[in-house]
Amino acid sequence: MAYRWNFQPVFENVDVLLIGAVGTLRLFVTCLVLGLALGLAVGLARYSKSRWLNAPAACFVELFRNTPTLVQILWFYYALPVLLPFEISPLAAAVLGIALNASAFFAEIYRGGIQSIERGQWEGAQALGMSHAQVMRRVVLPQALRRMLPAFTNRGIEIFKMTTLASAVAYVELLQQGKSLASLNFNPIETYTAIAVVFFICLFPLVQATYAIERRLGRSD
Amino acid sequence: MHAWDFSSVWASTDFLLLGLLNTLRLTGSALLFGVPIGLGLALMRLSPRTWLRLPAYTVIEVFRITPPLIQLFWFFFALPILIQVEMTPYVAATLTFSIQSAAFFAEVFRAGIVSVEKGQWEAGRALGMSPQQLMRRVVLPQAVKRMVPAFLERSIELMKTTTLAATVSYMDLLFQTNEVAQKTFRPLEAFTATALVYFVVIFGASVLVRSLERRLAVSGEGVVH
Repeated sequence: MAYRWNFQPVFENVDVLLIGAVGTLRLFVTCLVLGLALGLAVGLARYSKSRWLNAPAACFVELFRNTPTLVQILWFYYALPVLLPFEISPLAAAVLGIALNASAFFAEIYRGGIQSIERGQWEGAQALGMSHAQVMRRVVLPQALRRMLPAFTNRGIEIFKMTTLASAVAYVELLQQGKSLASLNFNPIETYTAIAVVFFICLFPLVQATYAIERRLGRSD
Repeated sequence: MHAWDFSSVWASTDFLLLGLLNTLRLTGSALLFGVPIGLGLALMRLSPRTWLRLPAYTVIEVFRITPPLIQLFWFFFALPILIQVEMTPYVAATLTFSIQSAAFFAEVFRAGIVSVEKGQWEAGRALGMSPQQLMRRVVLPQAVKRMVPAFLERSIELMKTTTLAATVSYMDLLFQTNEVAQKTFRPLEAFTATALVYFVVIFGASVLVRSLERRLAVSGEGVVH
């Protein structure tokens, strides 16, 4: 017999899913902002000529890019509290795992973007008497940021998808709420389908926008 | 201050090794199915016929855009009700990661195929080859070579994604680690050891990919991303 789909119980529990959506957005925004800021710091350190800055930054980047995010989140949730005098909340563990992971990837994007600016621009700005920091802020970063835009939006989309991993430490986000609803109403088909659709609707326009940006940059650069 | 003690983790080595083996098995089977499905999707996506192109486009976009953990839950909890089959964590994870990685492989294949110059198509056709012959004999051999780095990077990404299978109790390295952590009350040592194992395997693989990429660049071969 064919299964009869019934989305009624999902719609009746929209408030539960909305709480989850708020949790997802909160986690996403926190990780995005922290990842971008920390990523810039690490990216600049990685680009620096001093070994004391560049070696630790390289280690950080390789460590976080080459281990699975879920392992990082579980490490912060189960392992880190052993070393600390206080508990780590699910939100804190998820933020630490996802934001540090994101910052490692952002660092590489910043570095690639900065390196893509021709040497002549550095020399030109230095000839005008600008300091290293001034050249970076006034000349290099504004141009590099433009070229980095598609890589940034791609990473942002990845972070949004990664927020679902927080359900593994029972942080209240969309998938976690979906899990509770599915087991409460015995309707995993409709619940998980609905959540997949929500994610698709949120991310599809972003993906299309990224393609459009890539095409436009491809034309102008 | 915590006194680190790896002895209980060390004593569970064979338990963890089984987990690592399962991780590799899952990665391997997802690759085994994912690559041919990916090629099929790419060829469909490039087809001039809408009824081939549209379904491929939909599958690729849906599986690239939705989070893999939701896909896994869908295949593990929802699909068995829909088609009334027994679902094991291994089957659900293989199914999910095969199709998910196929969607990404399809885009790699597509970029590789598109990167082969139009002139080669025209020359092949002038020699009287059919589109299938052209694809098999001229385009794919060159495209595959350019795709190798992107393809390997995706495989590494796939191995990281397999950790999600632990959430549906597939006994991969991460799942086994959690068991060891709970049994020995040594979460710090267990998770740290496992993170290191993942790092060594994945970092080793990425270093190989990077050197391969450099070698391809030196030999004058283009690469697609």
